Amino acid sequence: MFKNKKKLRGYKEFLMVLPFIILVIMFCYYPLYGWFYAFFDYKPPKPLSEAEFVGLKWFSYMLDTPTKRAQLGQVLLNTLAVSGLSILFSWFPMIFAVFLNEIKSKKYRKFVQTATTLPNFISWVLVYSIAYCVFNSTGVINSLLGDMGIIDKPIEFLQSSEHVWFKMWLWLTWKNAGWAAIMYIAAIAGIDEELKEAARVDGANRMQIIRHITIPSILPTYLVLLFLNIANFLSNGMEQFFVFQNNFNKDTIQVLDLYVYNIAMGSGGYPLATAISIFKSVVSIILLCVTNKISKVTRGEGFI
Amino acid sequence: MKFKKLASLLVATALAVTTLAGCSGDDSTASTDSSTASNTTTTTEASSDGSAASGDLLTIEIYDAAANYQGTQSGWFAKVVKDRFNIELNIIAPQVAGDAIFQTRASSGNLGDIVLLDAVQFAECVDSGLIKDITADLPNYSNLAAYKEQIDVYNGGLPNNADKKTYGIPTEMMNTSPTSYSQDVIYSSPLLRWDLYSELGCPDIADLNGLLDVLGQMMEKHPTNEAGDPAYPFSLWADWDGGDGMLGIANVVQLTTWYGEKLRGSVILKPDGTFTPLTDKTGSYYKILHFLNDAYRRGLVDPDSGVQDWNTACAKMGAGQVYLMWYSWQVGFWNSQERLENGTAFIFIPVADQNYYTDADAYFGSGRVFGVGSGVEGEKYERIMKFLNWYASPEGLTFQHVGIEGFNYTVNEDGTYTAINTNALMDNLPVPEEYGGAGYNDGNNAINQWIVGANSTNPVTGETYAKDYWKSWKETTMTQMKKDWAAKFGAAEPVDWMKQNNKLVISPNVSVSLAADTNDIGVIRNQCNESVCDYSWKMIFAKDDAEFDSMWDEMTSTLEGIGFADLTAFDIEKHTVELNAKNAYK
Repeated sequence: MFKNKKKLRGYKEFLMVLPFIILVIMFCYYPLYGWFYAFFDYKPPKPLSEAEFVGLKWFSYMLDTPTKRAQLGQVLLNTLAVSGLSILFSWFPMIFAVFLNEIKSKKYRKFVQTATTLPNFISWVLVYSIAYCVFNSTGVINSLLGDMGIIDKPIEFLQSSEHVWFKMWLWLTWKNAGWAAIMYIAAIAGIDEELKEAARVDGANRMQIIRHITIPSILPTYLVLLFLNIANFLSNGMEQFFVFQNNFNKDTIQVLDLYVYNIAMGSGGYPLATAISIFKSVVSIILLCVTNKISKVTRGEGFI
Repeated sequence: MKFKKLASLLVATALAVTTLAGCSGDDSTASTDSSTASNTTTTTEASSDGSAASGDLLTIEIYDAAANYQGTQSGWFAKVVKDRFNIELNIIAPQVAGDAIFQTRASSGNLGDIVLLDAVQFAECVDSGLIKDITADLPNYSNLAAYKEQIDVYNGGLPNNADKKTYGIPTEMMNTSPTSYSQDVIYSSPLLRWDLYSELGCPDIADLNGLLDVLGQMMEKHPTNEAGDPAYPFSLWADWDGGDGMLGIANVVQLTTWYGEKLRGSVILKPDGTFTPLTDKTGSYYKILHFLNDAYRRGLVDPDSGVQDWNTACAKMGAGQVYLMWYSWQVGFWNSQERLENGTAFIFIPVADQNYYTDADAYFGSGRVFGVGSGVEGEKYERIMKFLNWYASPEGLTFQHVGIEGFNYTVNEDGTYTAINTNALMDNLPVPEEYGGAGYNDGNNAINQWIVGANSTNPVTGETYAKDYWKSWKETTMTQMKKDWAAKFGAAEPVDWMKQNNKLVISPNVSVSLAADTNDIGVIRNQCNESVCDYSWKMIFAKDDAEFDSMWDEMTSTLEGIGFADLTAFDIEKHTVELNAKNAYK
């Protein structure tokens, strides 16, 4: 059947890849079929086939009055601010890993690593319960401050709409820093010991070794993670913001994913929700291409 | 090595978790075993009413908009149903699983074997062919056929149902009349602690300001509960906002009925029968919001109000940290027999300038509808109809509204009932093994909605199903506090006082099919609700009138920018249909 061995090999190899191609098609391309919903007046229980085609109505709905434009603008600003903060401080887990690695006592190091990794496994709903217990008007902090006579009226921490972006970044870091450091700890473990020894022989002190050997060696890992993060710029997820949102801080806490949930998914407005996520996907693709370009220019190689 | 250790730790944790999960699995099989074993003893009893368990064990799925619990019905009610019909109830609860489950199940063409939905959604499902036509079979089931008038009126009003076929059975129907009101307490009215109120010398309250004065004095005298935790007259919660088809903060919306007004979506229905938008400054939404802001400025509002959920607020009510309640059922978290006797219970205290709105008896039903899934056929269909017929029978209703004979009530010599273990639900009392075991509340009917209302007359006893109106119950609850209250206000019950003083607006119960939101209106409604709630909460916590009013104006202009005018126009048209039907009774 096969004329030559080369062709036979080609078919064999194709068959080997086939399952993965099918998986990619099933889980990455087939769901795009859902984008149809953005162009129809779909409302359950009527099936999509009976819904009316409305073209770009839902896309223009997002932006057709100044109030809506201002709202979407504020939402994008929140999204960029929250993502921007986490990218601005994305070196934090790396530095944390580097210093963690310098701890001499193995027991203490293990303890710190475990203690910082654990919060990653707590769901956001529980994180909020903890936050509520600590910060409500009769919570630990307010009782403590009250007993010490510093305040005479409880401070309404959770209701305040000030520094929301920063507070959200703090919660995220508390939850994720230890987990994110694992990748860097692995990278540090891969650094050739001889390099460090050579440096030590040359008289380098600890900080110098960190600066000239450890950090440059794990920098590629850092950059790849950073670029991937930038591509995900618009997806901060919604759980964290969903549990922390209330009627007082919504202006500044509402990120794009939460906005989709609040205005559309919650009430069954599927077409509008789909339209917003298409918009988000397009912006994300643009961001990915841009960062890839930057990577090509600065490092000489792209990552896609 | 490090990672190996970490991995083994993870595996160990996973193992521990699965083992624990395995244990609970074992438990449940064990308990089913024991309940099947005890079946044999009770089937004979059950067969006496002609509805013995028959056929193989059948699991029916109930898509249930009223349920707060998802999963298989367990405990004593499961046993009651299983003994009679050999049926297991599997409850699918959108309130637990999220509304998206409606979309997934509807698109699969099978919502459930039994479907319980809000009327508007039900009509859409009938339209989409998800509900079975039960016209031919309904007359064969006597307990359902007894409500033929109401069922026909409901189905006759369905859009696109010119042949008057029967699809739905309304819930909580009553056998009184559409214009009467047969309860002692209305759904929402100011309820105060009698001991605190009489401690102040039972002052007359002229208006909302007077109410704040009284509450302020209560808080001054009792800044904490007995345990020493801070107490406030108001403890609000935010997680019910926008519910029940009414825009805005649930706590505010409910209090608008104190002035005879009632929110319908985005508009307020005034006592004179006209509609005004929620944003009207002379309307009751503004008035009540301002009232709560005044309360906040006087320091009477729990500072956690804006960030706590119902469960947290409810725990405070139960601990005596709240001095004002407004739902008739809310007192259930505090008023016990003991507290009624020692006079520390909550009771209605009139405010002179108020005029209370209430919906009349739900003669035509309370707004939700039962139906059978269109995919159900043959023997299964027959068994489901038998079950529904029993569900509307005096025996079924007694289980739903009262509980188990010998555990929740005893039968008197004259055939009437006396309630026992009245704290069964509140304290989740353990149920004896012969009735199905487990806690009473855990095993309570998880469908959480009835075909016939609790205030209907039970033909077996001649009294209502609800224990509150039994002769025996009235006797036990005629406490000193109740006598003092009656002497002070010159009426036996709150509703009697309202009727005597002409302070009750009864809105007749009608059955009309309301228009469903289009996609556009749905999105606008949701977005407007978000804005109204955000601004309202900030207004409650406003520092002064100037800040309050500037926020109100900001809210109004934001709402204009997201299509509020379209929404109010839609709502006025939608509810005018209903209003006209109500006016027909005048």
